[in-house]
Amino acid sequence: MKEKLHPFHISVLVFMIQAGVVVFFLPRMLAQYMGYNGWVAIPLFSVVATFNIFLISIVYRLGDGRSIFQIMEQSLSKLIVYPVYTYLIVVWTLLGCIAAKQYIILFQVFVFPTTPIMYIKLLVDIIAFSLIIKGIYNISKAATVFFWMVIWTILMLTFFIKGFEWVNLTPFFFKESTNVVVGSISIFSSFLGYELVLLLFPYVDSKKGFMKAVYFGNFLTTIVYLSISFVCFGFYSFKQLTKMKFPLVDLLAYIRLPFVERVENIFLALYLVTSLMSITMYIWAATETAKSLIPRANKRWITAILVCCAFVVSWIPNMLSEVELWLKYLGYMALGIAFGLPLMLIAILVIHNGGKKIA
Amino acid sequence: MLKVLRLFLTVALLVTVTGCGDQRILERLGFIQTTSYDLAPRKENESEQKLMISVTIPRPDSGSGSGSGSGSGSGTGGVNREFLTAISSTSKESRIILSRQTELQLVSGQLRNTLFGLSLAKQGIWKHIDTLVRDPSISPRVKITVVNGNAHDLLTKNYPFHPRTGQYIDRMLEKESLSQIVPKTSLYQFTKDYFDDGIDPIAPIIKEVGDSVKIDGIALFRKDRYIMRIDPKQSIIFALMRADITQGEISVDLSGENRNNEHVTLSSLVSHRSVKVTPRKGNFHVDINIKVSGSVLEYIGVLDLEKNKDRSTIEKLVSQYIRTDAEQLIANMQQNRIDSLGLGKNIRSTLSYAKWHKMNWPDTYRNIDVQCHVKVQIKDYGMFTK
Repeated sequence: MKEKLHPFHISVLVFMIQAGVVVFFLPRMLAQYMGYNGWVAIPLFSVVATFNIFLISIVYRLGDGRSIFQIMEQSLSKLIVYPVYTYLIVVWTLLGCIAAKQYIILFQVFVFPTTPIMYIKLLVDIIAFSLIIKGIYNISKAATVFFWMVIWTILMLTFFIKGFEWVNLTPFFFKESTNVVVGSISIFSSFLGYELVLLLFPYVDSKKGFMKAVYFGNFLTTIVYLSISFVCFGFYSFKQLTKMKFPLVDLLAYIRLPFVERVENIFLALYLVTSLMSITMYIWAATETAKSLIPRANKRWITAILVCCAFVVSWIPNMLSEVELWLKYLGYMALGIAFGLPLMLIAILVIHNGGKKIA
Repeated sequence: MLKVLRLFLTVALLVTVTGCGDQRILERLGFIQTTSYDLAPRKENESEQKLMISVTIPRPDSGSGSGSGSGSGSGTGGVNREFLTAISSTSKESRIILSRQTELQLVSGQLRNTLFGLSLAKQGIWKHIDTLVRDPSISPRVKITVVNGNAHDLLTKNYPFHPRTGQYIDRMLEKESLSQIVPKTSLYQFTKDYFDDGIDPIAPIIKEVGDSVKIDGIALFRKDRYIMRIDPKQSIIFALMRADITQGEISVDLSGENRNNEHVTLSSLVSHRSVKVTPRKGNFHVDINIKVSGSVLEYIGVLDLEKNKDRSTIEKLVSQYIRTDAEQLIANMQQNRIDSLGLGKNIRSTLSYAKWHKMNWPDTYRNIDVQCHVKVQIKDYGMFTK
């Protein structure tokens, strides 16, 4: 029997997929869209994500640990299933490659201003490819190593206790918010990533708290997002925060240790791993789906083709604003998948199980 | 087959990754240490007001005395600096002009201080600061300093006892900010206060005096325009009103309190400041409570530091002195409609969003009633008795 994923690894994996490049500008989005004290909205978004995870947990219970592909294929005709698969493959692959591109543009601006972007992208894609072909167990182990590499940096926030002013928070809540609906979707997309656990069903041990681990992963993301945003709202003045493109980078740039300053470049390189995990997992998910679409195909070749496609597509959007626009629409689609897929699966399972008692 | 591919990839990576594209060779870089901004003297038939921008670049490698045409300064101790000046419309344009004057690649990663000439500061400096905060290579800790006079002249000069002018000013400001004589105004702090509607930015102000540069007090801004200056003698009182301090010194001449020829100096000041806002019939009453403790290392006068009663008299006299000066400063700031103490932030905290925005803060600020309550405590009085 194959090795199963440990709940702790699942929590870490969920956190690593969720946290990505978005964390660099989340505080600004909160200030722009949610207005004064926008950080308060984070727990609300987290509750929505938790509800979504609850839907996934129903699928897991009703499906008795079967993979979502088995569930779909046993009740739906191939005419319906294949377009769904294709849609999933396209969205996940694109999401993986465009999110990577966004991180790389950011990285390039700060660290290598004149190196070609696609050159760095190639290097990242090679690492992602090597991880994906090793399978989900190895990905999760790598994720755990990467997790310890980055999570300690949250302690750096204690550096800002001295400059933090309660009076900067102001007694106003959600005033001067703009585009709340569009903004909410953009902010919520920073929580996305947990929906990929739908594909982990065959790889987990049902006796151990699989779903609890997913909830915990999401909770961890919430805590990290909340602490970063809270510090930003207290350390910067509100209007200033709405104008800062990447508040977290500025925050890191402010840190001065007795032996070194301007550490943001080191941290930016370190945070590559969180983005790398998001890319890897989205393309891994696309690969899994593609394997169900063409069961006889070689997994390595599928991965290679997807990574190459992703690389070619990511050539198209060139400027940061273009990438952001693409990501916005891909975020909508991923959001649709995050809610739509579990709902569809629940419907299938309820109809299929018919009068059978639900455990 | 796969092994061959893997080998090929490894070799390809090794070859490409190590041949870095973004090269930065230390010897070929010119690390700008200080930049100065001034209004350029206006030429006839010139419609646009141009800027005079100068930079200093430390050059430890070049021999002493040799200088480039644009005014390289030589210093003692074998360290040189390169000094470049350009006249242009914008600050980034000047970078291109400056770059034409040197063989080094100019980089701003080590920029420590920016000096603004007084005439420019009076016109507003935000558009220049905006370029600085936009540039990812510039640290948010870069200092902002106003020069009482011409910044270019102050920076171009070589001061005999201070080999590198840029570094000399930077270190002096760093040191003086510890004892609260000048505020620590960085890009971060200035931007923060500029965008906050409840406070106005401040910056240190310096001046050229013969063979040295001297701290000339604190420059107070309304938004980004220089409005008034606080004398260095009163800097410490301003600091006490603005925030909690953990280090500082105050020298008090008690003749103002009807005690002629009596002086007292309090060192190792530690203070705590709290602000209480009470709304009063469409206006506000603001109490600034300041608690200061320090040790007396110098007292010239008739009282006996050993006696509790006399010590408490000195405490009262010093409190009275600080209070009078503080209230005078506030009245001055109110008259100029600049809220450098950030009282607006405290008042904002007591109001609803609608009320705060309905009120025109700079106008209201002028009429609010501010009172200072100062409590001085003498912690100790040295290790020798009279």
